Amino acid sequence: MKRYLNSWSTIIIVFTLLYFLKAFLPAAFLTEVAIYSIYAMGCSFLIGRLGLTSFGQPAFLAFGAYGAGIYLYYFGTNPFVAILVGVLASVVVNMLVGLFFVRLNSSYFTLCNQAFCVVTFFLFQKALVKWTFGDNGLLLISRMDPTPVIDLTSPKGIYLFAFIVAALVWFFYNYLMKRSVFGATCLCVKDNEQKLRFLGYKTYNIKWLAFVIANTAAGLAGALYTVYFCMVNANIASVSSASEAVAISMLGGAGTLFGPLVGTFIFIGLKDIASQFIRHWEVLVGLLLIVVMLAGQKGIVGSLEGYLAKYTAKKSEPTPALTQEGGV
Amino acid sequence: MNGQLLISAIVLGLSMSGIYFLLTVGLSLCYGLMRMISLDQFFYYALGAYMVYTVTSLTGSFWLGMLGAMLTTLVAAFVVERLIVKRVYSKPVMFSMILTFGVNLLGVGLIKYVWGLSPKPVASPISGIMNIFGTGVPIYRLFVIVLAVVVYLAVQYFLNKTILGTAIRAGIDDAEKVEALGININRLFTLTFLLSSVLSALAGVIHAPFVMVSPEMGMSITAFAFMVVIIGGLGSIKGTMVSALIVGQVVSIGALIWAPLAEMAPFLVMMIILLIKPTGLYGSKLMNR
Repeated sequence: MKRYLNSWSTIIIVFTLLYFLKAFLPAAFLTEVAIYSIYAMGCSFLIGRLGLTSFGQPAFLAFGAYGAGIYLYYFGTNPFVAILVGVLASVVVNMLVGLFFVRLNSSYFTLCNQAFCVVTFFLFQKALVKWTFGDNGLLLISRMDPTPVIDLTSPKGIYLFAFIVAALVWFFYNYLMKRSVFGATCLCVKDNEQKLRFLGYKTYNIKWLAFVIANTAAGLAGALYTVYFCMVNANIASVSSASEAVAISMLGGAGTLFGPLVGTFIFIGLKDIASQFIRHWEVLVGLLLIVVMLAGQKGIVGSLEGYLAKYTAKKSEPTPALTQEGGV
Repeated sequence: MNGQLLISAIVLGLSMSGIYFLLTVGLSLCYGLMRMISLDQFFYYALGAYMVYTVTSLTGSFWLGMLGAMLTTLVAAFVVERLIVKRVYSKPVMFSMILTFGVNLLGVGLIKYVWGLSPKPVASPISGIMNIFGTGVPIYRLFVIVLAVVVYLAVQYFLNKTILGTAIRAGIDDAEKVEALGININRLFTLTFLLSSVLSALAGVIHAPFVMVSPEMGMSITAFAFMVVIIGGLGSIKGTMVSALIVGQVVSIGALIWAPLAEMAPFLVMMIILLIKPTGLYGSKLMNR
């Protein structure tokens, strides 16, 4: 059962189902879920597979978003190129920042990340105000040309594109987490870094590469955001949204494959529903974080996988296949 | 850049150092004893500032407000400790970080409900101006510096000379042995947590006259507080003091040179220090729990 849950076809089925959910749910909501889940995926990978909690994810979102935004505002009109530029910008920043951050142990890593997030916010809001226009932001409406094949300027086109990109990201992370040696070494770093170092692995390089991969997902989400909303302002890097990615990861189950998707779906759904009743959204995020952490920090998908493993183990003992693949 | 501006920037930097120190000494104490990073200190900081605003506008006395703020925070921290934080003392540090960040967010939301979104002013309780080398310096800033020094000496005295402080220091070295000696370590944890929260509230109270009191004030000072903690090294009181001094000066003199530098420069300093020593200036080898 578990084997089917993690296989490639499941990803296609899940995303196709989600795609056709637009018959029942507003497309704007689903597009946001698709984009935001990419962002959450990176954070979830960092927490669940590497043991590094980052409260600074909005910073990496912002670099992707501003990469795309500045390209569209000053240089070109093609949204595909803009997304590419955003991703490249975020890769460069991640590589540089990773060099410093990955050396730190986990508590220092978290604090440094949040400090970096604040600095990024000030960078885009104040220091580069001549080019980014601070809080007003870059307005990109009618700066994008319609593109062939998938028209990113139309809501339908961006909807399809967001789902294709999200599915591709999921394929990639599925490979990374379940099949590749690199994913397995990441998990080893989380469990016992010293032992891995003793065995001759360069843990610094592993952590650096994982950091770059995870935060490039955030950059990609940021670039998609810019194209989707046709604007980007400094608020994208604000600290008060720093906890959202962590909250989503913990809610869905950090390190699981579908955790970020389920978490994002519930989180953004809750946000949309609750914002009609509650004025201040922080209360709900705070409560959510506290409840999830006190309830055992496995998240929804994590607990479901646990039950499933127990169930299948009871049905057919002994299970050599499970012990081989049960890598979570 | 002339001399008068420089002197007033240095004094402002010193008083900011005092505030940073009061805010981060709690984080450091909590990390030192309990190996937890208590991000809810920023909620107590904001709560302290709001309470001093409320009490000052009701009674007209800043000093009553200070007392009221510290007492309210004591109660709030006690409730949080009993209900939530108590359960995560034995868990890895990541666990407490996410949880207390949740508490912080919840607190910010509640503050918005109670006091609204608009910033509130708090009048400075000491209005005089003192002349230092021909530069007028508000006495209140000097008062903040003196207060921080007094708190530093008091914390050092408490940790080094009193029997309770000795027990806490012993707990930092080896919690299990302290427990075996018949000391209730959980009570020490509670005591440290309350002490930290009261100091954070004090930081909020004395910072209130410098800035407008707003719900996001706890969030906006986080970055500086983290930089102070990281530069000094988690868990070291002396390191916190030294790095608060550094960050305060870098912020105020940086702002004198180019305004956005105030936020950027401390971050650069932090990066350079981390390159040389990944555990901060006074941080020891940290255990990964």
